[in-house]
Amino acid sequence: MVDLEELKGKFLNTEFASRDLQLEADNLIAAATASGESRPEFVDTAHESFQATPAYLCSISSGRHLPVDFPSLGGIPMDGGKAVERFAPVKAGVPLTVKAHLHEIYDKKGRSGRMIFIVVRTELFDEDIAHLANIDSRLVVREKPDS
Amino acid sequence: MSITTIHDVEFGAELPVFEPDTSLANVGVFARAVGWGGPRFKSHEGARKEGFPGALVPGIMGMGFLTSAIHQWAPVGQVEHVDTVFRAPMLADTPAIISAVVTDIDEDDGIVELDMTVKNTKDETRVFGTARVKLPLS
Repeated sequence: MVDLEELKGKFLNTEFASRDLQLEADNLIAAATASGESRPEFVDTAHESFQATPAYLCSISSGRHLPVDFPSLGGIPMDGGKAVERFAPVKAGVPLTVKAHLHEIYDKKGRSGRMIFIVVRTELFDEDIAHLANIDSRLVVREKPDS
Repeated sequence: MSITTIHDVEFGAELPVFEPDTSLANVGVFARAVGWGGPRFKSHEGARKEGFPGALVPGIMGMGFLTSAIHQWAPVGQVEHVDTVFRAPMLADTPAIISAVVTDIDEDDGIVELDMTVKNTKDETRVFGTARVKLPLS
């Protein structure tokens, strides 16, 4: 059985991925419109606060999910959910920096065994290092009994 | 009723039901826009070859449906935080029903808490979650 305290001590709150990117307005509009969004700030580039929807921000968190040296837990990580916390609008066409770290590791035990939950937090900054948003990705791994 | 200030919100109120477009074509538009181009989002046949019962609606598109429902209910509200759990896959070309209920109101800070679900027509929950929405005080 994997020792979660050991995992926490080794991996929590240590940045394991970083990249720069810019969002494209056309993609923001397409994703927002397909989601049923009609507010101008999400579908009209002429709006003074044109920005990405929370759901679009979640797509930024995809990429490397875990640190390269994170041990196998015996099962395939599944996407258990996502959360977004917004501090300021995330706009198209401006330089952004994305940084990821493991924010939380915990387990739940049931009749079918132990499930391990790993929360990867992706932080989004603008070029002035203003913190724009946090995106939490919840990975769920069903631990194999002999792992 | 359209919500314009925190004082318009009633505890326990249900948001108007929102039925999003889950057609395969629309799912494809979303998936391409967010850079997820796998077969599972493009065609039912491609998804079945990957072991799914049909083409999938991306989980984050479910989040998009939920926030769109909030924005329709409260056109000036700002979703500060939204947390979604992907309980089971949503299938393209299958109707989805969005519902939400007000679970807490902070009239001093203009904050509303919502519980939200995405269900299919069999009343099975596909996605559920919570949201914290900021509304004007006056």
